[in-house]
Amino acid sequence: MNNPLDELASEYVLGTLPAEQRAEVEQRLPHDAELRAAVDAWEQRLLPLTALAEPVPPSAHLWRRIESHLSTARTPWWDLLAVWRSLAGAGLVTTLVLAALLLTRPPTTEPTFIVVLVAPQNQAPGWVIQASNNQRIQLIPLGTMHVPADKALQFWTKGDGWQGPVSLGLVKPGQTLSVPLDTLPPLSPNQLFELTLEDPHGSPTGKPTGPIQAIGRAVKVL
Amino acid sequence: MCVFDYEACLLACAQGDQRALRRLYEQESSHLLGVAIRITRDKSLAEDIVHDAFLKVWRGAGSFDPSRGSARGWVFSVTRHLALNVVRNHYREVPLGDEHEQVAVNDTFEFAARSGQIHACLEQLDPSRRRCILHAYVDGFSHSEIARKLDTPLGTVKAWIKRSLAALRECMT
Repeated sequence: MNNPLDELASEYVLGTLPAEQRAEVEQRLPHDAELRAAVDAWEQRLLPLTALAEPVPPSAHLWRRIESHLSTARTPWWDLLAVWRSLAGAGLVTTLVLAALLLTRPPTTEPTFIVVLVAPQNQAPGWVIQASNNQRIQLIPLGTMHVPADKALQFWTKGDGWQGPVSLGLVKPGQTLSVPLDTLPPLSPNQLFELTLEDPHGSPTGKPTGPIQAIGRAVKVL
Repeated sequence: MCVFDYEACLLACAQGDQRALRRLYEQESSHLLGVAIRITRDKSLAEDIVHDAFLKVWRGAGSFDPSRGSARGWVFSVTRHLALNVVRNHYREVPLGDEHEQVAVNDTFEFAARSGQIHACLEQLDPSRRRCILHAYVDGFSHSEIARKLDTPLGTVKAWIKRSLAALRECMT
C-alpha cells in the first residue's frame, strides 16, 4: 500500500492515530471525497471485527436517558440563543400584563417581584409569578393549559450565575401554587422562571428535558 | 423473525419516529455497549458513549448516505469513533477510580471459528501481527499500548501494523 491517503484512512479506522491526527481526519472528512471514500471502504472491511466484543446489556435507565434528549436541542435551553431572543419580545408582554394586574388587583401586599411566563412560540402569557417577599412566591395561572395525560408540568428557576436550573416542583394546570424559596438564594432581578413538560413524576435527570411551555424573567416592582 | 432493516430504520428516524430508534436500541444497544466497553474498560463511560451515539444517529439519520456503506456499519462506526476519541483525548486511566465500575475484559480473540473474508485474511497474518490489528481495532489500543502489551519495540509494532493493513487490503480486494 503506497497510497498515503489510504494509509491514513486505514489507521484512522483501525484506531491507532493519535488524537491530533484523528481530529485532522475528522475535519477533512466532510469536504474531502477521496479520503471519505477510503475511510468508508476501511469501515466496511473491518466492521465484522466488532463482533469480537462480547455484547453487554445496558442498564435499565439508559434508554430513558436517550429518550429524554430526543426532543430537546443539543445544548440545554438556558444556553440557547433563540430562547433569549424570544424573551426580549416577551418584555413588552410583561409590561402590558403587569399594568393590567396593577390596575385590577386590590392593593393588598405589594409584590416586590413579578414574572410573566409566556409561551416561547407565540409569547402568549400563561402564568404570572408574584412575590411579596424574597422567601415565597405565588404562581398564578392566567388560563388553563392543556397537559398530555402522561406528562406533567415542572416549574424551574435559575438566577444569574447559577450552574443550572433548580426544580420548584410539579404544577397542576389552572392551579395557584405557593412555593417557598427557603433553600434557594433570595429572588433577584432578571431571575429566570420556566415551566417544562416532563414525565409524570418530574424530569428523570433533575434538569429540564422536555419542551418549554412558558418562560419569563423576574422584574422588580418599585 | 424477519431481518432488521437498518436503512428503513434510519429513514424513519430521520422523519422523527422515536419508535424506530427504540427498535434500533433493542436490536443493537448491547452490541454497541460491548464495543464501547472493550475500548473504554469502563461501563458507565461506555454507556455515556452509547447514549451520545444514539443521539448522533438520531440527529444524523437524515444525512445518512446509503451509497457510503451499510446503515448498520454507520451506527457501529459512530459508536467506535466516539469511544476512540474519548480514550485518545483523555489518557486511559488504569486503574480507574472507585466510582467507576471497572470492567474485567478478556482480551484474547476467539476468531478461529468465525467466517467471513476479514477473518480468512487475518488468519494469513503472522499471529503477533494479527494481535496488533485486533488489539487496535477491538481494544482501541494505541501503538504504544500494543507495544507494551506484546513486549515489542514501538517501531516494530508501527511497521507491523502498516504492513498488516496493506496485506489485508490486498487480501480483501
